[in-house]
This record gives sequence, structure tokens and C-alpha cells, in this order.
Amino acid sequence: MTWLPHLPEGDTDWDRLAALCPEAFSALSGVVAAAWDDTDPVLLELARLRIATLLGYTAELARRSERATDAGLTEAKVADLAAWPTSPTFTERERACLSLAEQFVVDPNGVTDAQVAEVTEHLGARGCYAFVEAVSVLETFQRACLTLGIKEVPV
Amino acid sequence: MKPRIPLTPEAVNEWGLADTAGMAPTIAGARQQLRRVAFRMRTVDPVTTELVRIRNARYQNCFF
Repeated sequence: MTWLPHLPEGDTDWDRLAALCPEAFSALSGVVAAAWDDTDPVLLELARLRIATLLGYTAELARRSERATDAGLTEAKVADLAAWPTSPTFTERERACLSLAEQFVVDPNGVTDAQVAEVTEHLGARGCYAFVEAVSVLETFQRACLTLGIKEVPV
Repeated sequence: MKPRIPLTPEAVNEWGLADTAGMAPTIAGARQQLRRVAFRMRTVDPVTTELVRIRNARYQNCFF
């Protein structure tokens, strides 16, 4: 539960904080929704879950993107996610994206030309750009929610 | 800094600078809306906002 005091009434932490700054929260939700519109949902969901693991955001690990599951993401793959570098469950395309996403979270200055080139090879220039933008959105969003102590966020 | 992602001709503006909004148009539009809302917020004073922005840019080695 969020540690912010004197919030308006609401069913969830998100609702209560959103009531405080409705326009800002609506715009923030819009950016997160847009991230899913411009990117492959399975790739982005895998990246989102790795971001949650790296940031220690356990509540985010418990939920799933419906878009990703509808697009074929399985729980078996999610269960194997920590072993993505070596697990045969993951394709080269997914490995390239997860490698870039992890480095982005740990230290963006450490992202190499080779990592970007590999993602570009699989997704194309436009796809790589959109993937990096989407990862940036979800990482920022998770950090903001963690900072504010928000556990339940809109799906 | 040289862009790592090859830019399409439409992603370069009239001054020869990268303009990538068209490469992820939905995110670009939503980010623009968030920026508009953030700039209109008066609950955070502009000096603190700018200090945090500069400090963060230095931390991330972003020298723009």
C-alpha cells in the first residue's frame, strides 16, 4: 500500500493517487497503453517481467498482459524466463530483445552497438526503436510505482 | 553521437537531425501529451524540476 497520506477515496492505490492528479495519471496511463500498441506484445511482456525481476517489483510479476497471452505467451516460457540466455524455450529474437532490455535497466551506458544491431536485425530499425521506447516507458512506469508504493496498477 | 539504429529518410528532419517520432508514432503522441500535462502542473516548482532534470542527465551521461 502506498505510503502517501491524505489521499482521496478509491478502490486501489492507483485509483486513490489518480484522483489526486487525474490529468497526469490519465496521460501516464496513455503512454503505457501506447507502448503496447507499437510493440510485439510477447516481446514486451517478457521484457516487462524481466524489468520487474531486476527492480524487485513482485506485484508486477504476478500479473500478465492479456495481449501477450492472446498472442501465444505461455506460462511455461514465463517460468523459464530467468534462464533466457541458455533455455531452448527462447528464440534468438527473444534473446536479443531480453539482452538489450536487461542492459537498459542495469545501465543504459553499457548498451553495446552489437546489442542494438542484433535487435535491429530481428525487428528492423523501426521495430528496434519502438521496442527501446516501450521498454523505457515500462521501466520508468515501474520505477515510479515502486517509488510511490503502488502495488496494483491497471492492466 | 552517431545513431545506432539506421534512420529512414523520413526520420531525418530538414536540418539533418534525427526526428524519430514517426518510428513509434503512438508512443510519441502519448509522450507529447504527458509532457504537456507535466508542464502545466504547478504543484512542483520549476527550479526543483530543472535541478532534478539536470542531475538526472548528468547521472545518465546525457549531455544534450
